[in-house]
Amino acid sequence: MRVLSDVTLDVARGELVALLGSSGCGKTTLLRSIAGFVTPRSGSIRVDGRDITSLPPEKRGTAMMFQSYALWPHMSVAGNIGYGMRMRGASKNAIARRVDELLALMQLQGFASRPVTQLSGGQRQRVARARARAGDPALLLRDEPMSNLDYKVRIELRHELRALQKRIGITAVYVTHDREEALTLADRIAVLDAGRVVQYASPEDIFHRPASAFVAGFMGADNAVALMRDRDGTLRVTRGSGDGERLVAHFRSDTARVDASASQPANGELRLHGRVVQTLYVGQGWRYRVQSDDADVWAHAEQRIDEGASVAVIVPHDALLLFPRAATAG
Amino acid sequence: MTDSTVAAIAEDAIAAERAPRERRWIAVALVAPALLVVGLFFVLPLVLSAVSAFTAGSAFTTAHFAKALDLYGRDLAFTVAIVMLSTMLIAVAAIAIAAYLTLGEHPRAVAILRWLYRWPLFIPFVVTGQVMRTFLAKNGMLNHALIGSGLIEPISAQSMLDWRGIVVAFVWKQAPFVTLLLAGAMAALERQHIEAAQNLGAPRWRVLVDIVLPQVKGTLLVGLVLSFVAMLSVLSVPLMINPNSPTMITVDVAYRINTFADYAVANALCLLSLVLAAIGAAFYLRHAVQQNTRS
Repeated sequence: MRVLSDVTLDVARGELVALLGSSGCGKTTLLRSIAGFVTPRSGSIRVDGRDITSLPPEKRGTAMMFQSYALWPHMSVAGNIGYGMRMRGASKNAIARRVDELLALMQLQGFASRPVTQLSGGQRQRVARARARAGDPALLLRDEPMSNLDYKVRIELRHELRALQKRIGITAVYVTHDREEALTLADRIAVLDAGRVVQYASPEDIFHRPASAFVAGFMGADNAVALMRDRDGTLRVTRGSGDGERLVAHFRSDTARVDASASQPANGELRLHGRVVQTLYVGQGWRYRVQSDDADVWAHAEQRIDEGASVAVIVPHDALLLFPRAATAG
Repeated sequence: MTDSTVAAIAEDAIAAERAPRERRWIAVALVAPALLVVGLFFVLPLVLSAVSAFTAGSAFTTAHFAKALDLYGRDLAFTVAIVMLSTMLIAVAAIAIAAYLTLGEHPRAVAILRWLYRWPLFIPFVVTGQVMRTFLAKNGMLNHALIGSGLIEPISAQSMLDWRGIVVAFVWKQAPFVTLLLAGAMAALERQHIEAAQNLGAPRWRVLVDIVLPQVKGTLLVGLVLSFVAMLSVLSVPLMINPNSPTMITVDVAYRINTFADYAVANALCLLSLVLAAIGAAFYLRHAVQQNTRS
């Protein structure tokens, strides 16, 4: 089965690249092929100009951090962290020094002789990070390293990792399905869909200038409305065809507001008239699902509106992400 | 509260007290058949055997043990040596096969090995003995193959139907059993444990020694102890391959009974072999207790 095709990625030294995509898009397979656990049928993988495509995993000089951490339960914390250096024939003193240094960096002083089975999830994660970094690998590969942590620890760790990345500049490829994690941590993001890289750019570009409707949807602009752009530039909400450019507009629900007061339309905004069919309280206001003949969208409002009420969803033009609409699309 | 109510409560209390006692009887009744079988067919023969080994007429004696050790002390040492050597070779073979099944790179070779290695499991010891007789004899298949391939001269062909034959038969028969247990334990390991070690630069043999074996050593020990005890009790293989002295004590036991009807010395020999098996069982139990404590 073909999992990946036409994948081209370059990672600069000291850069953290996130592979972002939904489950089954091929991001872990791509990471595993860099690590050497999957051999690509064609193409090449180079690290520092050296072709490593046909090398076994142990000779690649990459270090991978696994989603399950894969810490060896029969070894102590120090045994786990120092293993890679031991494999490269480092002296006992050098290993001990490096282990101490990493334990201090990970705030795990005094844990060296502790069995890894006695650690909490967050501590295990730190040991796995230390183990991957112990031998100063040319390339660090991280496979969803935070997916097993609870929300609060995850957020703290994100900030810590970003600060560390800024300070040390580790070259790393980071697999995640969490767009917020990718935006916070990465220098560049590769969005994958069905085994292809659909956009490879900085987090700002990916977020504000998505290359396709798929990327826009994946990055949170998941409201989609069929539009027609007339010759004078006016945008009309319509599923039908006619003179003008057929477009689909994506927007984030927090950029759209729900107006129940029948206010006057203003220039530079898109208005969708419909009925509130679902209400969700989200802390800072409410989210409303508004349905009309032409659209089914989610939008935000600070005031409470009853379900069934007729409203207008107002989206500023500069919040719209416009993409050409295929002729067969409705 | 009326008298009848008090009486009813008292009856309930008695019934409640009686209920666990009744349940206890049901439990005893359920266990009884199994206990009876164990008692009649295992414990009683063992006790009778021990009594016979330690008595002459009706007096207590250790003379049968003295005689057994005097006549068959060398065979006892031979038995221990053969079984220990076989156990070690089984460990090596089982680790090699299970390791290839777990870490092997060529899926087809792994599939063929997985299919092949189990065959001896289904062949009884007596058939194994017969197979080895035709395979290892002076004019057997092994020598024919070696002479045919030019590896040895016909003049230097020799029979291996001695201690070597017994060891080959035991390893051939028991290694698949230990491999089966060991390969199962290795397959149950988290694959990422192996990949993490490879990723950090460990070659395959280091992955085996550092990561895989320490995590499956309990299963290996259990397999080896069970094989050790099984090999101690095999009669057919030494009888068919190497019945002359020195031989294994199972052959001596059969000889004392069939030729002299000397049950007392035969029982003494059996008890000595039980002591050997008990040493193996002690390892097994210690491991089981450790596992239970950990879980």
